[in-house]
Amino acid sequence: MTDISPKERLDRALLGKPTDRAPVVCPGGMMNAAIVDVMNKTGHTLPEAHHDADKMSDLAFDVYENTGFENFGIPFCMTVEAEALGSAVDFGSLECEPKIQKEIFPSVHDAVYLPIGAIEKTLRAGSVIQAIHMLSAKHLDVPVIGSLTGPISAAASLIDPMTFLKQLRREKETSHKVIDYVVNQLISYAKLMADNGAAVISIADPTATGEILGPKFFDEYAVCYLNKITDAIHEIGVPVIIHICGDVRMVKPQLQKLHGDVLSVDAFVELKQLKTELGEMRTMGNLSTYLLEFGKADEIFNQAKHLTTKGIDVLAPACGLSTSTPSENIAAFTTAVKEG
Amino acid sequence: MSDAERLFESLARAIIDADETAAVQLSETILAKGFDSAKAIERGISVGMEKVGDFFEKSEYFIPDLLDCAAVAERATAILRKGLAKEPVSRGKIVMGTIFGDTHDIGKNIVALFMEAAGYKVLDLGKDVSARRFIDAAVQWKADVLAISTLMTTTRGNIQNVIEQLRLDGKRESFLILIGGRAVTREFAQTIGADGYAENAAETIRLLDKF
Repeated sequence: MTDISPKERLDRALLGKPTDRAPVVCPGGMMNAAIVDVMNKTGHTLPEAHHDADKMSDLAFDVYENTGFENFGIPFCMTVEAEALGSAVDFGSLECEPKIQKEIFPSVHDAVYLPIGAIEKTLRAGSVIQAIHMLSAKHLDVPVIGSLTGPISAAASLIDPMTFLKQLRREKETSHKVIDYVVNQLISYAKLMADNGAAVISIADPTATGEILGPKFFDEYAVCYLNKITDAIHEIGVPVIIHICGDVRMVKPQLQKLHGDVLSVDAFVELKQLKTELGEMRTMGNLSTYLLEFGKADEIFNQAKHLTTKGIDVLAPACGLSTSTPSENIAAFTTAVKEG
Repeated sequence: MSDAERLFESLARAIIDADETAAVQLSETILAKGFDSAKAIERGISVGMEKVGDFFEKSEYFIPDLLDCAAVAERATAILRKGLAKEPVSRGKIVMGTIFGDTHDIGKNIVALFMEAAGYKVLDLGKDVSARRFIDAAVQWKADVLAISTLMTTTRGNIQNVIEQLRLDGKRESFLILIGGRAVTREFAQTIGADGYAENAAETIRLLDKF
């Protein structure tokens, strides 16, 4: 298995087949990897690359080449879907990632339902699709991971989040209607990503944590809708990564119900232990992004080596990678994994 | 137990259960019977929200529950305020916000709701707030406490800028500084010279009560 390509290695790891070693990836989206070091070196920069397909694919290639991550991961933010469905976005700067400036609806009752397919009709989502197509056509051996904002986070980017979270308890019927609408839009967009060459879809849902929702709401909203998206993506034969932020201890029984191929979690989760509790689902993670940003390269190398002994299926940053993370620190991480 | 006390206790229960219909009805009854609105706020609403905070700390309640209970508390408080002869004496004035560069504000907003329910006056500057805005607001509003939040390790250093700027302005001793949010710790608070750190809304209130 010495000639295995990064694409095949990731595919095998995601499906639980034997590989020469675990791959090391960063799926883009919430985790991002368009770090300042790389952008300053290559001149392909954000925020421009959030909009233009050529710049986006160039920057994704720069990240791949300069960090050692074994994939392309785009887009570089979590705002494409919400912007397409009406919310205002501040596109940030070289250092600062885009953020939702203003959610379009004050409450779930105010939601206006656009026809399904609305996301991919926008220019920016179109650029993401086009960049996926260009990268996958040009680099056949490197997997393109299409990054999707999870259903609860996407809905909370359309509805004022304080009201939305309250309404999850108080206005269940309408909350379900809104999230289901968002999910149908996400499925349509994700399928187009896959049709254009995304080898994997990664769903990150930072609002849907056990700490925020608790087991009951996590089960009712997060598990249900993450599974609906996952099932739809599986129907077209594409594997799915699901990233859940924060402390997952109190939602472990619910995590076992997720249909994703791989579960990615935060740094303080003991993945070796979690792996024994997840049944069929594989694990991904979870090198501390704090260590990656502020640690020394040799500490990172050693910690990454330690992680490779834990039977984790896919190595990755544990959560959102800061744009200020030094490229030599990421290189220490990826080198340690590749050395096995 | 007097009729008034029974009503206050029921009001606290309605807040804990996020039962808006009951909370509104009880608040209106308290007003109609001429019972002390200030005591109703203190023994009904504040006590109810304190219990809600306890449930959150014990992982029995989560964010949707907190927000629902807080909305009911807000509605009941608005009714009871009509029965106050004058604005209640505030337990302290707090200027708060999420630090410059950070736009996470759900946790901060929840803490603000708890502060108000506990009888503190709050000026919430929102998110992405610069050191200068924090300080100017605290000076103009004659605040007792500056409460600053961040969820990002990349922006937590900006909290230190607020403290350093206060020192430069010769106003560090004018305000107590309380910090919170996922990216900071008790140790970090000590390192930068803040006066306190709280992990959640309930702890914030306990800390403020000690100040």
